[in-house]
Amino acid sequence: MTNLEKYVNAFSQALEIPAEEAPHMVYGKSERWDSVGHMTLIAALEDAFDIMVDMDDIIDLSSFEKGKEILRKYDVDI
Amino acid sequence: MLAGKNALITGAARGIGAAMTEGFAREGANVWAFARTPNADWERSLEALAVKYGVWVRPVYAELTDPAQRKRAFAQVMADRQPLHILVNNAGAMGEDRMFQMTSEEDMRRIFDVNFFAMVEVSRLATRLMARNRAGAVVNVASIAGLDGDSRLDYSASKAAVIAATKKMARELVSVGIRVNALAPGLTDTDLVRDLSDKVKQAQLDRILLHRMARPEEIANVAAFLASDLASYVTGQVWRVDGGML
Repeated sequence: MTNLEKYVNAFSQALEIPAEEAPHMVYGKSERWDSVGHMTLIAALEDAFDIMVDMDDIIDLSSFEKGKEILRKYDVDI
Repeated sequence: MLAGKNALITGAARGIGAAMTEGFAREGANVWAFARTPNADWERSLEALAVKYGVWVRPVYAELTDPAQRKRAFAQVMADRQPLHILVNNAGAMGEDRMFQMTSEEDMRRIFDVNFFAMVEVSRLATRLMARNRAGAVVNVASIAGLDGDSRLDYSASKAAVIAATKKMARELVSVGIRVNALAPGLTDTDLVRDLSDKVKQAQLDRILLHRMARPEEIANVAAFLASDLASYVTGQVWRVDGGML
């Protein structure tokens, strides 16, 4: 599985959305991505890429695209 | 009661935390025992507990108010590749006995750093691990002082904050299967209480129907219940364990 597939899967499973909706996700714009969804998403990303996300990055992770940028800091290229 | 569960207990080296570590192991839980200072004697006692009860009990050292140490400690937990089922936020500090007017902002911040901010940050890390399994139980050790405001300003206020955080966490985390409750122990026979003046202790004892302090294991027993599946319909609650202070 590629990193992009893992990344989309994490969004899809954590936020309980179809995979094709993942690239359009923005925090707070979908009822699925609320504060609990956010925690579940961070947990799913940490699990998928075996990383531990810092608090500043958790707060910054506000969209599908922003998440890719943040994961690069953890040596995960998507 | 806790067979097959993996629990993380902070402040595990002394007092109520030490009693919880033994009590949880006795009930069948594996334990990550968090403490601040490396101690070979304590590690040997954990090994003995593990053998006695047929579980694993692993020491993890961290100053939980330090973000870098906190992160390293959780990296150690994650490296064990075991699911986390239970978090007990027990680590705490009491501070000096001062009047309201004599309690400095610095004193209050120091106590809040340990009793509240570190507890919140540990909870954030731990519940993200629990969320992976969509199940878990958190027990926050507050105090009757957080309910009654009858102790030191910094301590009482920080424990009131723990109670408020417990309710907020319970509301949010229920959707990922995590229950969150607080324990409010009364006068308990630990090092923290031994530092209280005889006058303060006697005033508390006069209010207790059972006319004695709690033993640490009596607090640990209630924590084990709240952490267990026997308490599956209990969340967002504050459990007084005070010997009957009416």
